[in-house]
Amino acid sequence: MSPRLPPAIRRYAEHPFWQAVGIVLIAYIVVVWVVPILPGSAIVPKSVVLQYMVTVLVGVLIYVSDNEERWRRFKEPIQAVLIEPRLKAVRAAALAGLTALVGLAAYGQVKTTVAAPPNLRSIHPAPPAEITFRGKTIALTGLENPLRQHPDSLSSYLAEGKRVYYQNCLPCHGDHLDGQGHFGPGFNPLPANFQDNGTIAQLTESFVFWRVAKGGPGLPREGTPWNSAMPVWEDFLTEREIWSVILFLYEQTGWKPRTWETEAGKGETGKGKGDD
Amino acid sequence: MISGLLLLALRAAPFPSPHSPFPAQDTTKGKAVYVKWCAGCHGDGGAGDGPAAAYMLPRPRNFTGGLYKIRTTASGQLPTDADLARAIDDGLPGSAMPGWRGRLSNAERRNVMAYIKTFSSFFADTSQHVVPLKFSSAPSGGTSANAVKVGREFYDSIGCRKCHGDQGRGDGASAPTLKDDADFPIFAADLHQNWRFRGGGSVEDIYRRLRTGLDGTPMPSFADLIDQKFLTDEELWRLAQYVRSLSPPAPPEVRDVVHAPQIPGTVPVSPDDSAWARVTRYWFPLVGQVIHQSRWFAPAVSGVWVQAVHDGKTLALRVSWDDRTESPDTAWLKFEQRILETVAGDDSAPPLKAEPWPDELAIQFPRRLPEGSGEMERPYFLMGAATDPVYQWRWTSRPRRALAGLGRGIERFDTLAGAPAGEAIYEHGEWRLVLTRALATPDTANEVQLEAGRAIPMAFFAWDGSSGEHGSRMAVSTWYFLALDRATPPGVFISPVVAMLVTLGLGLVVVRRAQRRGAARSGV
Repeated sequence: MSPRLPPAIRRYAEHPFWQAVGIVLIAYIVVVWVVPILPGSAIVPKSVVLQYMVTVLVGVLIYVSDNEERWRRFKEPIQAVLIEPRLKAVRAAALAGLTALVGLAAYGQVKTTVAAPPNLRSIHPAPPAEITFRGKTIALTGLENPLRQHPDSLSSYLAEGKRVYYQNCLPCHGDHLDGQGHFGPGFNPLPANFQDNGTIAQLTESFVFWRVAKGGPGLPREGTPWNSAMPVWEDFLTEREIWSVILFLYEQTGWKPRTWETEAGKGETGKGKGDD
Repeated sequence: MISGLLLLALRAAPFPSPHSPFPAQDTTKGKAVYVKWCAGCHGDGGAGDGPAAAYMLPRPRNFTGGLYKIRTTASGQLPTDADLARAIDDGLPGSAMPGWRGRLSNAERRNVMAYIKTFSSFFADTSQHVVPLKFSSAPSGGTSANAVKVGREFYDSIGCRKCHGDQGRGDGASAPTLKDDADFPIFAADLHQNWRFRGGGSVEDIYRRLRTGLDGTPMPSFADLIDQKFLTDEELWRLAQYVRSLSPPAPPEVRDVVHAPQIPGTVPVSPDDSAWARVTRYWFPLVGQVIHQSRWFAPAVSGVWVQAVHDGKTLALRVSWDDRTESPDTAWLKFEQRILETVAGDDSAPPLKAEPWPDELAIQFPRRLPEGSGEMERPYFLMGAATDPVYQWRWTSRPRRALAGLGRGIERFDTLAGAPAGEAIYEHGEWRLVLTRALATPDTANEVQLEAGRAIPMAFFAWDGSSGEHGSRMAVSTWYFLALDRATPPGVFISPVVAMLVTLGLGLVVVRRAQRRGAARSGV
């Protein structure tokens, strides 16, 4: 610990008991509050929190009991609370608190509440090798965005993609393409966030074409097709409009599509330019 | 007329240019940001006519007129930079405009603000002095019954109810005639949903809107009534406090599961039964059906409040929602026609013809509960599919009845013999509906059996006929859940009590032993 700490704080910071308490507290804060705000992560389920905390506790106990002197010092405050007459109030509070905690935990175990079933889904399920688009068979494996073969017309495709996006995708996927359109909060799962490094940045354009063309109802079972609000866009858009809007998604977010050559290997992905 | 006033106001403002609280801005960089992120709705030329504009109601702001709803300046004046920055940073709740804080950098947001001002020549006139009004702070006692009563008196006497209606749900007699300066239909705000107020829902925000008015809309400024001594500044605050009191203290939180407690006796079948006052209500947001032909981008019902109870034999579900009209209502037919002509959709050309459609509400369940623990498979949330239908209750305002049936996708609804009992009341812009059905029914193949202790998937759909909603033009929800709770048996409390006694006993033993040992060691 830094020697600049005031002596009163240093006494605590160097004491094994308070170190242990601190580590457990910090671990709890990290698991419960810090992890959920990391990009691409979610709230940690209670059972997993318990597992983490048990692991941390075991680690802490091994650390404090590893050395005879440390173990003795670790036990000091506990011993003091149990014995010292001047700590009578602390002793009573600790006893009452522990009793209440056990009572609450026991009540939580026995009372029956109905919770929503866990919504486990595969976010990027395996795509089919080929799809039928308005009666035409399109092989997805190895397929690149055909519009990229016409670099001279790219700007007009992008303009078309932008129009398609704003007239169709915007209400759910939003102005910033982050899945927070004004209708987005009405759906579960939430609309995909294209700014996130876990969506289009990880996918080939043919995968995105499949998801756009076939929508929620075209998902395999593990993708929970019954919940997805993604429309079946082949009912609304032409093949070229879908490829155009895919161009627009990558252009607007700055991500580069995953390419087929690298997919089997390291999977080269990444932002083309700085993330604003 | 308002723009005329604006011109007058501008000419009569011989102040020096005010000090801007914002650092230097770069309109060239602002243009790049605008073209990339704003033009899709607001248009390349800032006229509020981007490719998305026709799918929105309210429409995106037209920047060329220099006319802004949400300001801290007097009616007819330009907004301050801070006003523009607030709209850009925080967005406009209840509209499609998101807040850009956290999405664009500070510099990008300030630059784009500077660029937006270039669309209107009014901002270019540097002799203009854009001064925010001086706002008093809220007088105390704002939530007291007396303050709210005073506010209510002025709500009636200065004419708020003409548009916003007797109870503030935007259902006043003049509401179906309203349009904005661009001739688009405009709704009087539903004052029970302050989280959707464009300029914010706090009492300070409401007071400011009363002082400044919403330029370009029928909502006037009431500042002149203070000048004329018709009411005092404090009374205007009371009015704001009354309006604030109509909405819940905090925006409703969306929870997944509606818990239906088991009650003794029989379930309440009337929507206004006093028993409902003791039952928790849950809010579920509804959004436009933009998934299936024909899509609908301007849903009228923004959400439903749901309550449920059961008595061991029967379930009663109470759904209440704000709706400006008891449809069909011929007084709203012209307004309905204007909505259908304004909002683009899959079949907006040629525009649909307004018809006296009823209001509708549908509650949807799977036909059977998913089997096995952790099993979550269920039918397609948007009214099922031909091969995997959903079980629905459908209530209509005319004929006033509730039906049960199987939804096989949006287009097909096959009525079943057993319908839920329905009782509905329409009053001052609100529907309150109670549907009741036996938990167990004979048709176990098609009608969901409502078992206690299970998470029963449930979804909601609503139509406001007078807003042009019919068939696929509706507001939809995703799957949520209904849970019929069992009364807690007293036996449940035994084990926690035993556990607590054991803990306390063991704790005392440990303390006693430690103290005895401590005493022995110190040689007492």
